[in-house]
Amino acid sequence: MRALDWVVLFAALAGIVVYGLWKGRRTRDLDDFLVADRRMRWHHVALSIMATQASAITFLSTPGQGFTDGMRFVQFYLGLPVAMVVLSVTAVPVYHRLKVYTAYEYLEGRFDLKTRTLAAGLFMLQRGLSTGVSIYAPSLILSVIMGWDIRIVIFLIGGSVTLYTATGGARAVENTNFQQFLIIMGGMFIAFVTIIRLLPADVSFVEAIHVAGKLGRLNVIDFSFDIHNQYNFWSGLVGGCFLALSYFGTDQSQVQRYLTGESVAQSRLGLLFNGLVKVPMQFFILFLGAMVFAFYQFTQPPVFFNPVEVERARAGASGAQFRALETEYEAAGDEKQRAARAYVGALRAGDEAATEAASQNLKSAQEKANGVRAGAVAILKEGTKAKPDDTNYVFLNFVIHYMPAGVVGLVFAAVFFASMSSSASSLNALASATVVDIQRRLVTRRRGERYHFISSKLATLFWGLFAITFAQYAGQLGSLIEAVNRLGSLFYGTILGIFLLGFYFRRVGGTATFMGALAGELAVLYCFYFTDIAYLWFNVVGALVVVTTALVITSLSGKSETKKPPVGASA
Amino acid sequence: MKAEHKGQRKAHVAEEPPPVGGSWKTLYAVVLLNLAMLVVVFYLFTRAFR
Repeated sequence: MRALDWVVLFAALAGIVVYGLWKGRRTRDLDDFLVADRRMRWHHVALSIMATQASAITFLSTPGQGFTDGMRFVQFYLGLPVAMVVLSVTAVPVYHRLKVYTAYEYLEGRFDLKTRTLAAGLFMLQRGLSTGVSIYAPSLILSVIMGWDIRIVIFLIGGSVTLYTATGGARAVENTNFQQFLIIMGGMFIAFVTIIRLLPADVSFVEAIHVAGKLGRLNVIDFSFDIHNQYNFWSGLVGGCFLALSYFGTDQSQVQRYLTGESVAQSRLGLLFNGLVKVPMQFFILFLGAMVFAFYQFTQPPVFFNPVEVERARAGASGAQFRALETEYEAAGDEKQRAARAYVGALRAGDEAATEAASQNLKSAQEKANGVRAGAVAILKEGTKAKPDDTNYVFLNFVIHYMPAGVVGLVFAAVFFASMSSSASSLNALASATVVDIQRRLVTRRRGERYHFISSKLATLFWGLFAITFAQYAGQLGSLIEAVNRLGSLFYGTILGIFLLGFYFRRVGGTATFMGALAGELAVLYCFYFTDIAYLWFNVVGALVVVTTALVITSLSGKSETKKPPVGASA
Repeated sequence: MKAEHKGQRKAHVAEEPPPVGGSWKTLYAVVLLNLAMLVVVFYLFTRAFR
């Protein structure tokens, strides 16, 4: 990085920490610390929700997916707007009327203490580990690309987030999330404009789009139904809706964001704004990746985008073979560039037959290059258990090699901010669940608000240190990282089922819900271990089995177990 | 006292209508129609550049 990039990066990082501390300086009680005194306007709620969902991996992996797999991943988000409407109608009024600090408080009023404690415990287990991973993953990528010490990057991200979150609580989180998200999207937009400007002078933007489309990178919508296909219209709309219902409706890191809204209306507007802009935003980030792909049709890409892996292969036992494949890949790249230019020329001439022939040549050249790359990847795989995957490295590799001074620093700041915003929300939510659902409810009920306010700050510090420590050792945990990443999808359906029973089925009581949750979790684990059903459907399976089992048990027992209908539950 | 005051304020504003669109149902419809429109646009985009 050049001097200007360092200035931009450190000014952004120092600025956001100071801003967070300044915004949180008046946080003086528990209400303020956990829900920002419930005074946030809708635009703060909206951008904080979006910043929480979009981790650093979102902004590193999504352009990479656009590059390697095309734009079909956007379908993953198609169910989200539907979920935003459902939650605006149901969950938001209930949580506001009950004036809860956490989503799990609702479960005690509706069912019993054990259901609340179980849900809060599952949340803390999953979110505590995943916060460590969400700090570790971008730190690893930044350290690989830049050659930085990963321990310093982890400490920089985790330490700064913990500092302002423990000081200012939800108020600091909401305000920093808002600013961070604006800078993230600004950075992405500038990166996009720069990519367009980097295209060869004789290739227009629309022609570059045609090249990307012809090579299968603009495959946004696929209406064919296949339950084994991760990303199609149906899995995105149905499975994605259930996932979004669970994530935004029951995960405290998101629920807490709209609990800070000053009214039902402000919280609703925040969610609905997310429903309006989330899908186009994901489309834009994937399109950014597709344009990086188009750029590399006219410029030679590296055979593999992870420089550490490439150096390891060059120095390894098959180093000579790897270098030969690199040379072969460059030759295939030259051929592909000629084919791409020929395709653009035919397209410009408007000759349909020539365009078709040129597109076939382009596809053949692409397949040839892919074949050479597959040989190189096979060498990279030698001696490692993990499948080599450079998807997460594509975008940053492009940024450091081709972006102008200043923009590189801005994009790096955006990656840091993305990691910080999602981590800050998680730490704030973990502190809430720890103090409100466990400590205050089970251990220190007689203590006053001041005691629990201080406890919340200490709980934030604890979870911050836990996340930093876990991130430091995450690289040695191997497949556990993958397991942690999947943990959410294994529990979300079941937790959603519990909340659906609470919101919509008044006759169903705690025991039937508990039995339903067990059945739902077993069904999800069966799908996970013994079928190849796409994981988005796990959320549907889990929720439906929980609800169905609980209803059957309630019908068979012939009596309602409900203790008391909570305020607003009929909304 | 502070909590009670806050409770009264929230009970009052909880029923406030949306600032635009006239009713919440209209806003919900806008979000869902926006989704439908995006799906159509994405489909046409996919076809145009296939």
